[in-house]
Amino acid sequence: MLVSWNTMPTSIPKENGSVADIQFESPVIIVDPAAACGSVTLTDESSMTKASVRAADDTAAASALGLAFGSAEHRGDVFVARIRPDEWMVFGAADMVVAMIAELDLGGYASTVDITHSRLMFRVTGGEAAKAMEKVCSLDFSDHMAPNGSCAGASVAKVGCDVIRDDIVGADGATIRSYRILCDRSFGQYLFDALVDAKAEFG
Amino acid sequence: MIMSNRLPESSSEVVDRSKPIRFDWNGKKMKGFEGDTIASAILANGDHILSRSLKYHRPRGVLTHDFWDPNLMVQVGDEPNVRAGHRRLEAGMKISAQNVWPSLKFDAKAANGIAGRFLTAGFYYKTFMKPARLWPVYEKVLARFAPGGEVDLNTPHGYHDKRYAHPDVVVAGAGPAGLAAAIAAAQCGASVLLVEHEYEVGGHLLWGTDDDRAAAATLLAQAAAAGVEILTNSTVTGRYEDNWLGIAQRSHPIAVERLIKARAKVLVVAAGLIERPYVFQGNDLPGVMTSGAVSRLINMYGVKPGKCAVVLAANESGDQAVEDLKRADVEVARVVDARGSTTVNCAKGSRTRIKSVEVSDGSSIDCDLLVTAVGWTAPTSLLNMSGDRPVYDAAAARFFPNSPPDNVLATGGITGDGSRDELIAHGRATGELAAGRANAARHRIQAATASAAAVAGDEPEYPSDNRAPLTRADHPELHRSSTHGLVDYSEDISSKDLFGAAAEGFDSVELLKRFTTATMGPSQGKLETVNTVAILAEARAETIEQVGTTVWRPPYAPISLGALGGRVFEPVRVSSIHPWHEANGYTPILAGQWVRPEHYGDPHAEVRNTRTNVGITDVTPLGKLDLQGPDVPKLLSQLYTNKWMKLPVGGVRYGIMCAEDGVVLDDGVTARLGEDHYLMTTTSSGAGGVWNWVENWLQTEHPEWQVHVTPLTTGLTSINIAGPNSRKLLSRLVDCIDLGPGAFEYMQVRTGTIAEVDNCIVWRIGFTGELSYEIHVPSGHGLHVWNALLEQGEDLGVAPFGLEAQRIMRLEKGHFIVGQDTDGLSKAPTTGMISLLKLDKDDWAGKTEVAWALEDDYPVIVAVQPTDPKIVPEEACQILRDGTREIVGRITSSRHSPTLERSVCLAQVSREFAVAGTTLTVLLANGERINARVMEHHAHFDPEGERLRG
Amino acid sequence: MLLVPCPNCGPRNATDMNYRGEAHSRPDPDAATKEEWRTYLYLRDNPSGWLRENWYCSSGCRRHFQLERHTLTGELRNPPLPGRKTAGA
Repeated sequence: MLVSWNTMPTSIPKENGSVADIQFESPVIIVDPAAACGSVTLTDESSMTKASVRAADDTAAASALGLAFGSAEHRGDVFVARIRPDEWMVFGAADMVVAMIAELDLGGYASTVDITHSRLMFRVTGGEAAKAMEKVCSLDFSDHMAPNGSCAGASVAKVGCDVIRDDIVGADGATIRSYRILCDRSFGQYLFDALVDAKAEFG
Repeated sequence: MIMSNRLPESSSEVVDRSKPIRFDWNGKKMKGFEGDTIASAILANGDHILSRSLKYHRPRGVLTHDFWDPNLMVQVGDEPNVRAGHRRLEAGMKISAQNVWPSLKFDAKAANGIAGRFLTAGFYYKTFMKPARLWPVYEKVLARFAPGGEVDLNTPHGYHDKRYAHPDVVVAGAGPAGLAAAIAAAQCGASVLLVEHEYEVGGHLLWGTDDDRAAAATLLAQAAAAGVEILTNSTVTGRYEDNWLGIAQRSHPIAVERLIKARAKVLVVAAGLIERPYVFQGNDLPGVMTSGAVSRLINMYGVKPGKCAVVLAANESGDQAVEDLKRADVEVARVVDARGSTTVNCAKGSRTRIKSVEVSDGSSIDCDLLVTAVGWTAPTSLLNMSGDRPVYDAAAARFFPNSPPDNVLATGGITGDGSRDELIAHGRATGELAAGRANAARHRIQAATASAAAVAGDEPEYPSDNRAPLTRADHPELHRSSTHGLVDYSEDISSKDLFGAAAEGFDSVELLKRFTTATMGPSQGKLETVNTVAILAEARAETIEQVGTTVWRPPYAPISLGALGGRVFEPVRVSSIHPWHEANGYTPILAGQWVRPEHYGDPHAEVRNTRTNVGITDVTPLGKLDLQGPDVPKLLSQLYTNKWMKLPVGGVRYGIMCAEDGVVLDDGVTARLGEDHYLMTTTSSGAGGVWNWVENWLQTEHPEWQVHVTPLTTGLTSINIAGPNSRKLLSRLVDCIDLGPGAFEYMQVRTGTIAEVDNCIVWRIGFTGELSYEIHVPSGHGLHVWNALLEQGEDLGVAPFGLEAQRIMRLEKGHFIVGQDTDGLSKAPTTGMISLLKLDKDDWAGKTEVAWALEDDYPVIVAVQPTDPKIVPEEACQILRDGTREIVGRITSSRHSPTLERSVCLAQVSREFAVAGTTLTVLLANGERINARVMEHHAHFDPEGERLRG
Repeated sequence: MLLVPCPNCGPRNATDMNYRGEAHSRPDPDAATKEEWRTYLYLRDNPSGWLRENWYCSSGCRRHFQLERHTLTGELRNPPLPGRKTAGA
């Protein structure tokens, strides 16, 4: 299978050693300083390399990627989420993502698309992150319905998103609740502002 | 001299005497305490008339002193219709009476009382009708009598928001049973949300004995310890399918009112009982009130409701009122025990207060306070909303829950009677049952949900309802005395009105309600429905069961539009180039959810520059679908009207898509980027719809096709570079793409690097009719490339052009726009693209209807030019058969062309008129008829397309 | 608000779905008469009772599915689903 343009994220260095000195433009133009403050914080991770893999259950690619629909996990420096029955998202450091994609056997039939630029990614983190999400999303965020490593598609502030629970470990070693939210890039500023508003209540 | 009706401090009160509050009532300065309701504070200061009734403007005082009291609606500052029997006093409140003129004391509109005979129920259906020409006058007169407070249009918007919740159990009502149910459920491990209408939990315990109050405090502490989330001054306002609940939360720290949308596994209805007024002559005189009102005023608010009372008692609440009155130093002149056959016949008084009561045994007693305790109404609304039809029990004189669905349980006074401990025991049993059922439901939902944690073991058994029911105490049926009185205080509907309406034929409860408006006022039937039904039963000589009730619908209590609206966020989409547009004087236009540049000051100049030099425009909203797989050609052939099996790599083809009824759905160009890799474009507004259309076909009709579809509409920032200098400009920026005319022809596609950005796609297509290239750039670098174009093209005369200039240019070239020049009835042949309709191809969407349409008559899109080049007909102007009013078409697009310096149009006309050279008659919006000519080609400018193919 | 059992995601709010109407089959476009084709386009059985219908889980898994709804009681049912998660599986 030829590696076509769409499996090569633009954030990797070129073969001849030169690196394009162009910044990735995030869809969030105005970053409200309140985003990073308070008990619930909101960060923009839109520039992270992201790839989408589509494959039916009976393909080699599906076996290699594994995971049940609705779950996600870290694999070294790469994060894999099975967000639809037949779709996985792979994100992380550019070269790691490219390497993982390149290793996939796309026979029978599987395909990949670079979605680095088409999907934004935000993180909502904090003890009350679920409560903040409850302001704008009708999913059940309780631990048994959305445990760490779960993912689901839902409307967030009226915009179609994928929500992945990916708790992080704080400086003191304690686990902090955290959600990654992905959606169409064009809603970036709107969604960022809506999330800042939703979390304001929690200080 | 202001008299104070304030009682000495007591241990039972909720007012805090150490916190006085100053307020204003109708211009009078008054003082109350924290914990007072607005009404209790006013009463304490000696005023007992708080409003005037709707129709007759009769003076009104406290009736029930709770949320439903219809006589206590007041204006507080800029907020109308505040319920003074519920709302707590706050410092600085400016309170005034509503619906009075010139003042509460002297209300000239009370003259209605004299004309009462002519203002019976439904009078407005019979009066103010003729002569019809006087309707504007009638309207002015009637408006003066419209009820309700004043709305200040400049009221600042408060903060309202929403929240979702997924509690295991929601308990509606925090009386003893509700509290007990919440505690028990939480102790069984359920997540519990307890919602209470009043400002404190405890229900009737709050105005009972000291023991009652201590019990309430204990229950509250237990609930907090068990982790119950308690919302006070909040209402469960609606129950929808599958226990979807609307909860209106007031008294929230940051929001004026918050709407909680909760999906509860089990709903426990512990709404208690609402005390019903009695119907008799004079029953709305100030000084006539229910036993609950009296007990609340005395015990909770320390207010003396009168000096000398008569009590009509049919139950324990009446007995307690007698005790409370005596303790408050009110003379109890007579207790009429209604458990026998004695009752009150009528009340007499002046305009301002009751003065005496006539008892059915013939005696007449002087008093300034008449207390009634004649029975209870079960507030079964939430049960009704869940599908239950409560049943009337004549021995107990009220309705009881019948058979709600398994996930709705009722407890407490609404299900039966008992001591405080019995209510608590029933509540506990209900809470345990609720937790058990919620647990089983949670297991089932968790097992069925893909993203949920795995469940251990089998689904727990669904517990059956083995609760010992509360007993039903006997209670006399007391609805109406032997005289006529008010049934609906909000609407001034008397029992005489109801008899009259029934006699006129409005004798079903639904008709009676709507004709008289009984139960349709602010108390929404809480105090009136049962009496209304009972009186209708009287009129029909039937029983209450036979008459039935009206249907209870949400909301249970009023909810503000602000809470329903929530945060005023509407999603907005912008391209990555948007910051540049904003900074450079664009005029924004909203296209769907997209904010786009309409122009940058002068769209005609933009057109001229593009056709002379080079223009660039941001077309990012253009729909883009990445298609991969060996079966993509089959998909394209299925969805487009033309043939796609042999498009070479690097080739681009235009296609029209139809729905199955042959109507044009969308159009666009599709490119083949690789062996099994295509990129489809759609119209901007059709992007989402076409994606759904494609997925529908792939999943439901052809799941065997190997095709994967991914939207890249916003992942690729799209810029159209058009004009004679476009090739020169682009060549300064591209790497690895030969732009030479022979190497890169019209309707082809290439990939490469632009301004150091890899993985860009370059199309040679042309909506504007100029030599043009459309570049698709990964959006994270879109603005970079836009800036590079502007920088590199300065000496070439580069300038941006907006949506308006693009629309003018495409119109000059006669390119139709789906949805603008076609409509919901336009089948494919109307576009004129007959050569694209490949009937010899196998099945494609819309083929059947298109084939049939071709054999028939259909309207045709043509290019039209008005004879007078200065006239630009409005879009949608009708085209008529000359000399008649027969419509034969319409103008679909119309602009002044700066290139040709005349007006140019596209139109749909019947085939008969679609012949080049035909003169059309166009009816302008101002009524003028003008002539216009059907042109030879769709393109008004450069019909051979020489510029395009250069 | 109806809770719709998506066979992949599990129970979801009806607003997370697109309702696509009564299930009906597409006639053979080559053989269909005008009447048959237009019946397919515009006419539905609209029974009082169990109705097989099409739903699209637009906010969740983006899969089309069918279920049966009782048009009088509002009850929903769909066939049992493969691959439900249980501990240890």
